[in-house]
Amino acid sequence: MAEFSWVSRSPLEHALAPGAHGARGVEAGVSLTEIRNFDLIQVMARRGKAAELARVANGRFGVATPNAPTVVQAQDATLIWSGPDQFFVLSKGGKHTMDTLAPALSGPASLSDQSHARALVRISGARARTMLAKLSSIDLHPSAFPIGAAAATSIDHTSVTLWRGGDRPDGQAVFNLLVFSTFAGSLWHTMLDAAAEYGVTIAHSEELA
Amino acid sequence: MRIVCPFCGERELGEFTYLGDAKPVRPAAGASEDEVFDYVYLRDNVAGETSEYWYHGGGCRTWLKIARNTLTHEISSVEPAAGAGAAKVGA
Ligand SMILES: [Zn+2]
Repeated sequence: MAEFSWVSRSPLEHALAPGAHGARGVEAGVSLTEIRNFDLIQVMARRGKAAELARVANGRFGVATPNAPTVVQAQDATLIWSGPDQFFVLSKGGKHTMDTLAPALSGPASLSDQSHARALVRISGARARTMLAKLSSIDLHPSAFPIGAAAATSIDHTSVTLWRGGDRPDGQAVFNLLVFSTFAGSLWHTMLDAAAEYGVTIAHSEELA
Repeated sequence: MRIVCPFCGERELGEFTYLGDAKPVRPAAGASEDEVFDYVYLRDNVAGETSEYWYHGGGCRTWLKIARNTLTHEISSVEPAAGAGAAKVGA
């Protein structure tokens, strides 16, 4: 019998080249950082159980779950709206996995592990919003898309979950983007093309925040 | 054309897919062949107010029921289709 071992790899392992990209001789306007090795569980209320899920999840996470396109920060997880009566639980270090969440939430909800089904990219920098405006049709102006705002939307015909995290220490806005793993390479190249004229700093990180 | 998704807000047409007429109602079991034929195949080509199903596949993946004027593309109402989003329809 053959022996198998599963090695999890980033879907951007080959596409992502850390360092500088695009315009040189200017301060990079866009910073693209892939976040690796996260736990991502999608929680969807069973029919008629949305209120029960909200109650149970509130007890579990200590915060009210998002019931509109927003993100809610719990102590050790980020809850991201992904559609009506459903949300993602994003965390690190095995705190919120299928094993730990299912016993608590599987009564009122169905859970599915998306940890290796999505790539997570953090987009920031002085020209981040300008770059995203080339690709996204939604309004990302601070007044329309403040910190904590989220959207299930499409970029370059690809479904993404986009949300605004806390600002960087230098005050720059931070956009987080979850994309299906198999589309990650394509969207990555699209974003690099859109950002090249502003100068790009490319990196990957293990840190969520 | 833009559609205001009741869950996501205003979005471009490219995020949505058109399914078709929302008016036909599945005939009861034992309905006549003519009634079933009408339900499956016959559609009105309305110049004016229509009721349609659209799918927000590029967004929250919810089915919507939309009242649209085919002459002006004006959309007069958007609501979640039955069973979509307990928060809005209590299903
Ligand atoms: Zn929607």
